[in-house]
Amino acid sequence: MYLIKWAILLSMFWLLLSGYIQPLLLSFGAASVAVVLLIIKRMDDIDKEPFQTGTGRQIIQYLPYLTGQIILSSIQVTKLIWRSPVKLEPATAKIKAKDLPRDKRVLYANSITLTPGTLTVDLVDDELTVHALQGSSVDELAEGNMERKIDSIWGNKK
Amino acid sequence: MLFLDVISSILLISGVFFGLSGAIGIFKFPDFFTRIHAASITDSIATILIVGGLLLQTSFDLNTVKLIFILVFLMITSPTASHALAKSARHGGLLTMAEAKEKKQEKTG
Amino acid sequence: MTTVFAVVCIAILVVMAIALARAFIAPTVYDRIIGINMFGTKTVLFIAAVGFLMGRPEFLDIAIVYALINFIGMVAVLRFFEDTTPVK
Repeated sequence: MYLIKWAILLSMFWLLLSGYIQPLLLSFGAASVAVVLLIIKRMDDIDKEPFQTGTGRQIIQYLPYLTGQIILSSIQVTKLIWRSPVKLEPATAKIKAKDLPRDKRVLYANSITLTPGTLTVDLVDDELTVHALQGSSVDELAEGNMERKIDSIWGNKK
Repeated sequence: MLFLDVISSILLISGVFFGLSGAIGIFKFPDFFTRIHAASITDSIATILIVGGLLLQTSFDLNTVKLIFILVFLMITSPTASHALAKSARHGGLLTMAEAKEKKQEKTG
Repeated sequence: MTTVFAVVCIAILVVMAIALARAFIAPTVYDRIIGINMFGTKTVLFIAAVGFLMGRPEFLDIAIVYALINFIGMVAVLRFFEDTTPVK
């Protein structure tokens, strides 16, 4: 169950911050973890659409690709900044993400925002409003390389 | 050990370079939506490079785990923050450059 | 290595100063928030780098706490400005 996952995660976080292995401090840690779990349980009643994000093996496959994208586009944007006078062609476009399951669209939107030069302004159902520094990067996104990458790693489970 | 020092110096200095570029960008770029892009450079690549450089300086103990935690946390929160900022700006009625131009033409034309 | 850390700390301070300047001199309120957000994330990096410069890695704890507070603060400020009607 996901509460157990949270318990393990929170205990690890406590150990990370304190670094002491003494009975008194460990019992304080256990007490705080219990309180947080209680709050999470209560929050679930308010949350209308809970989602489990798939972490683990897939995210490790995805990270190198994302880091590569970040480095490439950062160099592009840095070039734009140092060129004078500044020549920009900002563009706004709507991109469809139909192929992705619902819980992966947030990952897709966040990946777009994390790569410099492109920014997700809005996400309504399967339509992303993307703002880009250069029109060409919108075209690249519309081609759907990143979308296909996410799709190929996580697959169409739903 | 010297080898690690050299690599981490390179990472740190290039991270700082990207940070400075972003800082200049937020003054040089013409409107809000383009400035967010400049700020996002400092959020993403400068953070990765600087924390990466510091990681190589630790003796691979608890501090390493703490640094990795900082990196992961910043990587998750910074796109969330910039998305929330752009969304609230757009819903607050701020126009992008192209839209502002169109509106001006409508008024004059 | 100390020299490199010192250079990095000073450079991050310069970036923070520019970000603060943006927060003071800006055409719209959202530009100010960009400056503040950038100032916050750079502060986290600065605290971490200063910890290494002084040879006191305990500073990393402060950096973690600052990162958490900075994010919560950003979201709180943006909630204040948010208007949830979708754009036509």
